[in-house]
Amino acid sequence: MPSAIEAAPAKPQPEQGARRTVAICGPPNVGKSTFFNRLTGLHQKVANYPGITVEKRIGRLELPNGPPVDLIDLPGIVGLHPRSEDERIAIDVLRGTSRATPQPAAAVLILDSTNLQAQLRLVPEILGFGIPTLVALNMADDLSARGGNVDAQAVAKQVGAPVVAVSARLGTGMDKVTKFLEGTLAPPQPVELPVLNNIPAERRWAGGVARRASYHPPEPSLWGRRLDRAFLHPVAGPLIFLAVVVLVFQSIFTLAVPLMDAVDSLIGTTAGWLGILLPDSMLKGLLLDGVWGGVGSVVIFLPQILILFLFIGILEDSGYLARAAAIADRSMRAVGLEGRSFIPLLSSYACAVPAIMAARTVENQRDRLATIFIAPLTTCSARLPVYALLIAAFIPEQPLLGPILGTRAAVLLGLYALGFAAACATAWVLKSTILKSKPAPFMLQLPAYRWPTLRSLSYRLLDRSKIFLRRAGTVILLTTIVLWFLASVPYTDGEPPAIGDSLAGSIGKTIEPLVEPLGLNWKVGIGLITSLAAREVIVGTLGTIYGMEADEDSPALQDALRSELSFGSAIALMIFFAFAMQCMSTVAIVRRETGGWKWPIAQFTYMLVLAYTAGFAAFRIFG
Amino acid sequence: MESLADLSPGTTAVVGELRFDEVDAVRLMELGFIPGMSVSCQRRVPMGDLSVYQLDGTQIALRSETASRIRVRPEPAAGVENAKRD
Ligand SMILES: Nc1nc2c(ncn2[C@@H]2O[C@H](COP(=O)(O)OP(=O)(O)OP(=O)(O)O)[C@@H](O)[C@H]2O)c(=O)[nH]1
Ligand SMILES: [Mg+2]
Repeated sequence: MPSAIEAAPAKPQPEQGARRTVAICGPPNVGKSTFFNRLTGLHQKVANYPGITVEKRIGRLELPNGPPVDLIDLPGIVGLHPRSEDERIAIDVLRGTSRATPQPAAAVLILDSTNLQAQLRLVPEILGFGIPTLVALNMADDLSARGGNVDAQAVAKQVGAPVVAVSARLGTGMDKVTKFLEGTLAPPQPVELPVLNNIPAERRWAGGVARRASYHPPEPSLWGRRLDRAFLHPVAGPLIFLAVVVLVFQSIFTLAVPLMDAVDSLIGTTAGWLGILLPDSMLKGLLLDGVWGGVGSVVIFLPQILILFLFIGILEDSGYLARAAAIADRSMRAVGLEGRSFIPLLSSYACAVPAIMAARTVENQRDRLATIFIAPLTTCSARLPVYALLIAAFIPEQPLLGPILGTRAAVLLGLYALGFAAACATAWVLKSTILKSKPAPFMLQLPAYRWPTLRSLSYRLLDRSKIFLRRAGTVILLTTIVLWFLASVPYTDGEPPAIGDSLAGSIGKTIEPLVEPLGLNWKVGIGLITSLAAREVIVGTLGTIYGMEADEDSPALQDALRSELSFGSAIALMIFFAFAMQCMSTVAIVRRETGGWKWPIAQFTYMLVLAYTAGFAAFRIFG
Repeated sequence: MESLADLSPGTTAVVGELRFDEVDAVRLMELGFIPGMSVSCQRRVPMGDLSVYQLDGTQIALRSETASRIRVRPEPAAGVENAKRD
């Protein structure tokens, strides 16, 4: 039996014994990562706009008949002429010029079957790499739901490569994919393909193939048209945009409350049990004050973070985000950035690390640098616990706009706006000085609207919870334990010191003069140091310090803060967090993406100076 | 006729010359702006100068400065157009 894999023309093989790799390639936003996830069981990020995957990702697939293969999920490409870093990565892997990855033994080209006549253009380009390729016509569910259809066999005959109709979302048609990966799918006769590097000719050929395969494109979606009419309406559009933002922020406070209460009482109850079960000892103190008090005070914010991610997920998966990017293009343009930078900046609301990687999709190198530089100024989810704690302690909840918007949500919104404004202003300065460049044509593809799936939303929340809890269990736990020890020595007469006399206390008091201009005391000063590891660590640190200080009935962290900080210093602290780059992962990723220490050091210094100055000013104004 | 930027929402034309350097022209063609392709302007995006165009089965938003460098000509009568579509 001829095998698709073995029928390959002789190619320089990867070293003996290496696992066979199969690349998943295709245009952006056609479901490559969904397909990859379906086969490998991994959770690569999937969303309904182009440019989500910006790195190659390898996943193992066990096959029923045959040795396992390594699948590689690649960033999307629209042709053989890469313009941005992510496209370059994909082309390099396919060509076999990537240093880290040898040329894959085979490829699966994923196309969107709802727009086949245009997408088939990529077939000769990918077949030109000379590796056996399966063409998967994805979104078969959407195609037939909207009354379209295509004869996959007829396409196969004309392109000279195996073709299957699949739905990566529903998992239909995957048995043939497995056969191809096992190497037991007979390829059709090779045919003559159009010469490359002549896009109009390739496109004419693609149209001919679709026609001869009696391809019926789907009916245009009426709903899509209606939604666009609303979302991009001159008046309603921006209002909806605003309403969406307000809804997200208000929900972070209102929807999360019952969940947070539940987490809180869970932590309280378990701490109570521990208190009864454990004999009085140093270990008990470490567990109760250090671990439960420190880590617990951060974990309590998980519900708020999940609500934020639920909304981000719905916006990303539905396709609304690309429309929001179109509306926001004006502000990007005003500060001299490509509209493309908006999408990485938006993802920065979740976390700056993936956002800085997503800046790879920005074609212009100077724009990319500017995007990387400003990304940590947009409010990431690690700031949320800090903001939420301080807002709950210092801002009384009052309705502002009836039940729609309360004071707390409004303050939170203001902090997000502050970060965004700082990002824009910084971009403007950079783009009109050291990163000046001539504007390149900007093309924003608007994806079709899709229903977010329960599966994808729950994976997002699950993965986010894992990340959050892992951080709580590592970085936060570690800093808390170290802090607890520093706060428990030196013993005098066999007694642990009062926290102010401990080693931690004396460190804090040494740096107190530095934080005093912001109206902060040495306890918060210690928190500012520990939060250099990651922002939310400060919440754990304060939880530990105030937990250790209080005897027996520890007052809620909020009450403790209220009794020691003034309103002005709380505002100063929030503003400090809005601007400062307290996140080692971000520093590390900027170093990696810019290839040196110059940018991360400049960025860290700039943000620190900005944070300190603004915090100082805020304390003067509100204090 | 004129450029893509002059196309008012709801009207259709045919892509003509692309007045860009080689690199940018290739990218526009890869996205569907191939001379001879029929393109319609769908709407203007609020608060800015993007317009949404429908062509070759996708929707793409362009800034007016980009659209103004894509020449278009009026759409030929329906029968002719179908014949040369693909
Ligand atoms: N209806 C339907 N939607 C699908 C199918 N496969 C993927 N999608 C949706 O298409 C969108 C894009 O999916 P991704 O897997 O992120 O696409 P991608 O090709 O990896 O995108 P990039 O990494 O940005 O290039 C998501 O909203 C998916 O839910 C399918 O078979 N049917
Ligand atoms: Mg992907």
